[in-house]
Parts: sequence; structure tokens; C-alpha cells
Amino acid sequence: MKRSRERAASELFAAVYPRLAGWCRRLVDDDETAHEIASEAFTRLWARWTKVTEPRGFLYVTAANLVRDHWRKLERERRAVRRATTEEAIRPPTEQSDPSVRLLVQSLPERLRVPILLHYYADMPIREVSVLTGRKEGTIKADLHAARELLRAHLRRSLDHTL
Amino acid sequence: MTTHFDEGDGEPGRDLDDPLTVILRPSSTEYLGPPTGRYESIRRGANRRRLLRATLGAGATCAVIALAALPFRLSHHDSPTTPTVPLAPPPASSSAPTASPSQAPSATKAPSSTPTASPSSPADVRTPSRTVVPTTEPSRVASEPSAVATQAR
Repeated sequence: MKRSRERAASELFAAVYPRLAGWCRRLVDDDETAHEIASEAFTRLWARWTKVTEPRGFLYVTAANLVRDHWRKLERERRAVRRATTEEAIRPPTEQSDPSVRLLVQSLPERLRVPILLHYYADMPIREVSVLTGRKEGTIKADLHAARELLRAHLRRSLDHTL
Repeated sequence: MTTHFDEGDGEPGRDLDDPLTVILRPSSTEYLGPPTGRYESIRRGANRRRLLRATLGAGATCAVIALAALPFRLSHHDSPTTPTVPLAPPPASSSAPTASPSQAPSATKAPSSTPTASPSSPADVRTPSRTVVPTTEPSRVASEPSAVATQAR
């Protein structure tokens, strides 16, 4: 029993970790932070291994929340530095991470973000997303549609802004 | 306004130039392999955290049980801790009938000391002598004031 669980954990780690860490790397500034976030997601998963029915979805949602916390922390630090130095001409933060994925995680409300993450990034079919989130399949499809529309509007606005 | 549903589980956008398609297409090339020993360290950390959580849960459960059981325990414990002191009859001795009513309290004290008295301890030996002395004295003590009073007159 314990051995089979250990083997399942090892297989899951081998299958998901590189992709999850790579996805985190697109959102944060450095490899080390990406590894930290992916590791923390796995630690939280295995600390409650018996209670999680869909580990991949749990990992992606946890990682997305950790990334959001990381951004908030960075923003607080930037504000503190700005207050401390009182310099107006501070260079704006460099967008090293992929702005499109950042937009995906940052701009969508949680209700729409979770289905998008699970469906598109964790490769889960709509049926599984429905089971995991406890919503009907039709609701998930409607949420995905609404999320895409919202993202499209955000993208259009940002493209207009850059032009 | 009606909501358009997806027609299936497939990719929604057919146009590859659509920026939304680019966003929603997970990068297949960007993989970040785990550093050496990362799996073991994550497993250790998860085990530690699970153990800590179990310990905290058990502690909280015990605390709740103790808090719930304490009032019952105290209320149950109160009733036997209030026993009334049994009133023993005064010890049967020859001097008892001669004791005056004013010395009755000393007679009530005697039973309490009598059960604990043992000949081996000198302190307890003295206690009966003290109680005996007043009982033998009253006839003399009662006569002395009258004698003193007559002398004063």
C-alpha cells in the first residue's frame, strides 16, 4: 500500500514537475523562484495526499495562487523601495515573465481562472474539470467562454495601448 | 444575451495567429527539470508537515475533550468533598459528670483529640492532662471566689 503510493507519487512528480516548473518560470523572474513555487505546490499536495482527488488540478491551482502571492509580495517591495528612496524617476519593473500568461492569471477572477488553468494548462478534459470544481459541464463551458472573451478584451486593450 | 458554449473539449480558436490562442496554448518547449535531490526534500518536507498537522490536531482534540470534561469532573467531584464531621459522643470518663456547663466546649474538644492520641507522643499525652485539670479543679475554683469575696468584705 505504502509502496504503491510512493510509486504513484514518484510517477506524478516525474510527469508533472518539469511542466509545472516551466509554467512557473514563465510567470516569475528566475529559475529558483519557479522551483520554490513548484516544490511548495508538491509539498502541499503530499501533505494531504489522501484527501486530494485530482492531484494535477490541485498542483496547478496551488501554483497559480503562489505565483499571485509572489507578485503581490514583489509589488509591496517595489512600493516600499519607492517610498524609501522617494525617487520619481525609477525605472519601471522589467517584464521578464511572459505578459500574456501573467494576464491570464492576474486578470481573471478565480471562478474563471481555475477552469482555464485546469483545462488548458493541466490538459484536463471538461468532464474532469467539472468533477474537480463541482460545477456542471455546461457551467464549465460557459466559464471557459466567458474567460476567453475577457482575455480577448484585455488583449485588445493592451494592443491598442501599445500601438 | 445568450452564452455561446464550446462545441467540445478541443481548442476553441482555430486561427493560430489569434493572440488568445497563443496565450492558451501551453508552451511545450519550456520544461524545467527538478534539481538533484529535490524529490526527496519535497517528500521529507511533506512528511514533516503532515506529522506536525497530525500532532496539532491531536493536541487540539485533547484540549477540547479536557475542556468539555472538566466541568463534569468538577461538578462530580464537589459532592463527596463536603462530608460533615461526624459528631462523636463525649468520651466516657469519671470527670465528665462533674464538668460545669461553662466548660462544655472543652469537653467537645476532647473527642477530636482522643482518637489521635497515642501514648507514644508526649504532646498528645499532655493534652488529656490539660482537659483533666479543669474538670478536677471546679470545686476548688468555685469555692475560692466566694472565699476571696468574703475576705475582701
